[in-house]
Amino acid sequence: MADRSPSFDQVSRRGLIKGGVAGAAVTSVQAKAQVRGGAENTAAEPTVQRVPITLDINGQHRELTVDTRSTLLDVLRHDLELTGSKKGCDHGQCGACTVHLDGTRTLSCLTLAVQAEGKAVTTIEGLGSPDNLHPMQRAFVDNDAFQCGYCTPGQIMSGVACITEGHAGSDAEIREYMSGNLCRCAAYPNIVAAVKQARGEMEG
Amino acid sequence: MAQDYTPVPAAKENMGQPIARYEALQKVTGAKIYADDLPVPGRPAYAWMVTSGIAKGRITSIDDSAALAVPGVQMVMTHENRPPLGDAKTFSSGGLAITELAPLAGPEVHHDGQPVALIVADTFEAAREASFKLKIAYTEDTPTATFGSPGATQKNLKEVNPSFEPIRFNDAGAALAGSAHTIDSEYYTPIQHHNAIELFSTTAYWDGPRLVLHEPSQFVWGLKNAAAEQLQTDSETVRIKSPFVGGAFGSKAAMTHRTALAAMASKQLGRPVKLVAMRDQGFTHSGHRQETRQRVRLGCDASGKLTGYDHTQWEFTARTTPYSNGGLEKTAAMYDFKAVKSDNYVVQGDRNVPTFMRSPAEVPTVYALEAAMNELAAEAGIDPVEFRKMNDTRVDPVKGVPYTSRSLNQCLDAAAERFGWSRRNPQPRSMRQGEWLIGWGCSMAMYPTQMSPSTARVTLKRNGTASIEVAAHDVGTGCYTIAAQAAGERLGIDPTRISVQMGDSRLPPGPVSGGSISTASVTSAVANACDRLNERLGLPADATADQRRAAIAAMSMPELDATGSWFPAELDQKAVDALYEGGVRIVGGSTDKRAMYAFGAEMVEVRINERTREVRVPRIVGAFAAGHIMNPRTAHSQYLGGLIWGIGSALHESTEIDHKRARYTNDNIAEYLIPVNADIGEVDIIMVPEVDDEINVLGVKGIGELANVGTPAAITDAIWHATGIRIRDLPVRIEKLL
Repeated sequence: MADRSPSFDQVSRRGLIKGGVAGAAVTSVQAKAQVRGGAENTAAEPTVQRVPITLDINGQHRELTVDTRSTLLDVLRHDLELTGSKKGCDHGQCGACTVHLDGTRTLSCLTLAVQAEGKAVTTIEGLGSPDNLHPMQRAFVDNDAFQCGYCTPGQIMSGVACITEGHAGSDAEIREYMSGNLCRCAAYPNIVAAVKQARGEMEG
Repeated sequence: MAQDYTPVPAAKENMGQPIARYEALQKVTGAKIYADDLPVPGRPAYAWMVTSGIAKGRITSIDDSAALAVPGVQMVMTHENRPPLGDAKTFSSGGLAITELAPLAGPEVHHDGQPVALIVADTFEAAREASFKLKIAYTEDTPTATFGSPGATQKNLKEVNPSFEPIRFNDAGAALAGSAHTIDSEYYTPIQHHNAIELFSTTAYWDGPRLVLHEPSQFVWGLKNAAAEQLQTDSETVRIKSPFVGGAFGSKAAMTHRTALAAMASKQLGRPVKLVAMRDQGFTHSGHRQETRQRVRLGCDASGKLTGYDHTQWEFTARTTPYSNGGLEKTAAMYDFKAVKSDNYVVQGDRNVPTFMRSPAEVPTVYALEAAMNELAAEAGIDPVEFRKMNDTRVDPVKGVPYTSRSLNQCLDAAAERFGWSRRNPQPRSMRQGEWLIGWGCSMAMYPTQMSPSTARVTLKRNGTASIEVAAHDVGTGCYTIAAQAAGERLGIDPTRISVQMGDSRLPPGPVSGGSISTASVTSAVANACDRLNERLGLPADATADQRRAAIAAMSMPELDATGSWFPAELDQKAVDALYEGGVRIVGGSTDKRAMYAFGAEMVEVRINERTREVRVPRIVGAFAAGHIMNPRTAHSQYLGGLIWGIGSALHESTEIDHKRARYTNDNIAEYLIPVNADIGEVDIIMVPEVDDEINVLGVKGIGELANVGTPAAITDAIWHATGIRIRDLPVRIEKLL
C-alpha cells in the first residue's frame, strides 16, 4: 500500500492549548472505550466553552462564536452552511474534508475551529463557481474524474495544492500526493489526468 | 499511466455520445445535492447513535443521568422509553428492512454495534459528549464470530429460502470420475464493507402528520413505504429526498434502524433531527459482504472439453436474519458443462445482517469458478484463454435456454490482443525484472442482465425543451445523464435541453438502484413515455428532425406530458402496480425463456518483489460487451471503478473479526484497506461492440457490477504464474506469500 499520509499541515499544539480543550478531548476518547466495554465512566465534568474567533472564509471576513469542541469541518457545515466540504470519516483518513488554510491543504475534520483563528479558509465553494470554474474544476469535468462526487471537493482542493506544492511533476508523483484522498468509486486514473490538465493551465 | 490513456472515450458502433454528466458542475462546485446537505426548516438538533459494545448478551441497566446533564442534551432514547413501532419486513419477505430486529426493541443484544440508545442535543458536540457519559451495563454471553467458532449452526439454504433449489444436472460425480483431468479446491472470500465515502445519514422533520426524510437511498419509493410501515403511518404522508447519493454499492438499498430513530426523535422534540452514523458505526449499521467458503471440483476430457462441475458454497450470516446471496445457478450457466451439481449452505452466528454489495453473489462464486478454470487449464496444459474459448456455450446448459447475446470470446480476443497475451510463457516463474517476479493471469467477468418495472413522466414544452421525472437514483452511475439521452434520442431534442428530476418519492416510481437494473429499466420507461408523446403529436417513429420541431412548435398547449411505464417480458402490469407499494420485482440472468448476461475478459500483470513479497499491479486490461452503451464516458468510469474494485478485492479488502468477541477490529477506513491512487497503474478498457435487440427497448445491459467480477481470479493466477504459489484465500497479502 502507498503512504496514506502526505504532508498535511501539522496540528498546532499551541493552538490546542490556547483553545483550552486538549484535556477534554483526551478524556472523551478514553471514556468512550470504557462505555463501549460497559465499565465505569470516568469522564470529566461537562465543559462547554464558546469563544469568539475571526476567520476569512472564501474572501469574506466572518466573526463567529464557536464551541471549543467544534472542528472546522462542523463549523463550516453546521454553522456556515458551507456543505461542500464533506465528512467521510471524521478521523483524517479519507480526505473528503480537505480545505486550504492560508493556502495549505488541511484536513478540516482534524482542525479545531479555534485553530483557524485569524486564518484564510478556502473551501470548494470559494474556489470557483459554475460560471467561473477554477481550472481544476474544469479539468475534473473534462476528464470525468468522479462518479458519485462525494470525495470530489476534497480531491479538487488537494489537486490544486498538489500543483502549488510542486508535487505534480510526473504521473507517479501525482498518484503519491493524491493518495490521501480516497475515492471509493475509484476514478483515480481520471483524477491523475485531471491534475495534469489543470497543471498545464495553472502553470501556463 | 500510458501516454495514450483516454479518460473519456469517443463513441463507437452502437454507442450514444459521451456527453458530460448532467450534474457535473454541481459536483465540482460543492452544490447542496446530497441528502445531508439539504436545508431544513429551522435549526436542527443533532443525534448520536450509541451502539452496543458487546456482540451477545443483555442490557442490565442504563444510567442516563450524566448524559442528560451535558448542557444542550434534549433526550436519551433507549428500549425503556422509545415510542411503539410497527413491524418492518426484510427484503426477502417483500420489505426493505435490513434486519427483522426493530430499533431499540429490547434489552437483548444480538450483534456488535447494535444501536442501544439515541442521544439528541442542540449541537453535534454535546450529543457526542453525552454519548461518552451514558452508562450501560451488560451481562455478556459468548458470541459466535465466524466459520469454525463455537456455536456456529449450519443449514441448507433451502431451509431459510424455500425458492432455492440445489442443482442436479446429469451425474456430476460420474462425469468427474471419468475425466482426464480434474481439480478439487477450496476457496475463502473475506468479509467486505462497502465504505462509500458518504456516511449513512438521516435528517427527519415533521410538518403536522407529514414526515420528510432526507436520506441517501437506492430506493426512495421502497424506503417511503417501509418507513411508513415501521412508523405506523400512511405512506402518502412520508416523503424521501435523496437527489444524489455519495456512493452506495448496495449499502443504501435497505432501511436501517436510523430512519425510525431520527423520525421518532424529531416527532418528540418537534424540530428537525440530523442523525449520522459515524464511519465505525457504519460497519455494523447497514450490512456487508459476508465471508464465504467454496469447494469446487471441475474436470475436462483429454482434449480440454469440460465435463463435470461440482460447487458448494457456505455463506456466513446472521442468526436474526439469515441473509444469503446464493448465485450458483449463474456460475452453472457460464460454460458448456456436461453435468453440474451445486449446493449452498448458510452458517449462522451472532453478527449483524449482511446485505447486497456490488455483484453480491458473483464476486465470491465467479472468483471460485474462474480460479478453478485457471487451475484446471494449467493441469491440462492448455492456455487459459484458449480453454475458456473452447468451452463457450450458446445456451445455459442447465436450463437449456439460449443466450440473447454472448460475446465472451470476442472479449477474450480483444483483451488478449491489447495485452499481448500470445507472448505468455506458460511456465510459472518464467518472467522477472531485477528482484521483481512477473506473472500474467486472466479471468472471465460476467453479470446477469437484470431488469425491473419502471414508470417515468416526460413533459414536452413548446419552446423545444423537455423534462423527465422518475424516482430513480444516481449513485454515481450517470442515471440523470442517460435518461436525458434516452429521451433526447426519442424526441429529437438535444439532451442538454432536457431537465431531469430523480431521487424524490414524490416522483413517479422507478426501480431500486441495485442489481445494475437502472439503465435498462429507466430508459425503457422513458422511451415508452416519449413514444406516447410522439403518438399524440402524430409523429411517425421515423420522423425527421424538421418534422419534430414543427410538431412541437405547433402544440396547442404550452406543455404536453405523458407517463410511460415498462416491464420486462417475464412480468406483467401487476409488477408496475406493485412499484407504488414499494414492491420489488427483478428479472434477469436465466429465466425459463432466455439467458441474459453481459460478459468481459480481464488480463492482468502482477509484479512481486522477491525479497519483500510486495504485490503490485502495473497494468490491467478489461474488455467488455454489454449491448448498447448509452454513454461511453459514464460507462468507461464504471468499468474503471469496477476493475479497481477487483484489484482491491484481490489484494486489499478484508474486515477482520475478533474471534472471541465477534467484533470487527479494523472498523475504519485507514485499516480497512481500499485501493488508493498510488496503488493503481495502467488501466486499459475496451468496449466490444454488441447488439442485443431482444433484451429490452434500447438493447442495454447493466454494467455497474460487471468489471469487478472475476478480477481476483485473474490476479491470483498471475501471482501463481509469477511465484508458483497458489493462494486460495482472499485477499492476497504479503504474509500469505512468505
